[in-house]
Amino acid sequence: MIEPTVALYGDAFNRAAAVLEELIEQAQVRYVLLVDRKGFVLAHREALWAPRPPALDSIATLVAGNAAATQALANLLGEPNFNELVKQGEKQGLYVEEVNDLTLLVMIFDTDTPIGRVKLFGKKAADELDEITRGAVVMPRELGIDKDFHESADAMLDDLFGN
Amino acid sequence: MSTINFANREINFKIVYYGPGLSGKTTNLRWVYQTVPEERKGEMVSLATEDERTLFFDFLPIDLGEVKGFKTRFHLYTVPGQVFYNASRKLILRGVDGIVFVADSASNRLRANAESMRNLRENLAEYGLSLEDIPMVLQVNKRDLPDALPVDMIQAVIDPEGKFPIFEAVATEGKGVFEPLKDVSRRVLSKLAEHT
Repeated sequence: MIEPTVALYGDAFNRAAAVLEELIEQAQVRYVLLVDRKGFVLAHREALWAPRPPALDSIATLVAGNAAATQALANLLGEPNFNELVKQGEKQGLYVEEVNDLTLLVMIFDTDTPIGRVKLFGKKAADELDEITRGAVVMPRELGIDKDFHESADAMLDDLFGN
Repeated sequence: MSTINFANREINFKIVYYGPGLSGKTTNLRWVYQTVPEERKGEMVSLATEDERTLFFDFLPIDLGEVKGFKTRFHLYTVPGQVFYNASRKLILRGVDGIVFVADSASNRLRANAESMRNLRENLAEYGLSLEDIPMVLQVNKRDLPDALPVDMIQAVIDPEGKFPIFEAVATEGKGVFEPLKDVSRRVLSKLAEHT
């Protein structure tokens, strides 16, 4: 056992996806991502009108790194936390709301969308996602991955990285 | 701990390249990036200073393929090796599944290797972990240096009990780059199987 992980599936995943779906509509943003603090994407949605998003893995990794650095800064200053992050460019902005100690909500929006609207609906969605993701926390031993998983993976490692 | 996304049928593992400054961690990642086929890799992200020293981390996602119905991915990270970037190094270790420790063969870097290993132990301890909890392999890099120290001398300072597998490498030429990566990946997968 190393640390608990959020495993979204079945009902929990559907509920989280519905929250993200509603958030896209209400906040009028391009993309929303639910990512864990380790930098992995748990769920994401994009607006129908939005262009294809950039690499989501890279976004999740950089956001998680940024959030971790911000948290470390807060601690240095004696604050328990700085709980939101906003980046605004000429055409797009990025807003990160802390959902809980395991997950973050990322919203990417056009700058003509009012930031107040993004924050308002982002915080509301984060509250709902908090409850959903807390319910989806599992310890590794409960994950139930098939035991011969790694045997199959071995052959693929040879294939990818050479014998 | 690996992140499993049942909805998308994905399993993600985080592997971190650790070691002293200029030992070749980023070089390892670059070689992997150059060699792995296009469809099996994502974008490589490097947060580096102007003189190409790692400032925060390098990141490279690799797709292993579909295993038992799960799309399996390895996220490779490097840490900044320079001593004063320890705050960043600690952050990168969060959620680590496997470690490749890259040691430098240069004769004047023996102490840096030892200090980096001690630093790794201390940083893991802050997450309540020890070296025994995380699959780790050692890569002794820069074997082509004229003053390269004997491998057992380097091993004596970073792993005196000989607990971890050790690989010799010349990462700039791609020698010994994939062997440690494959070995640590195997160990990570088998650890996951142990826990389920």
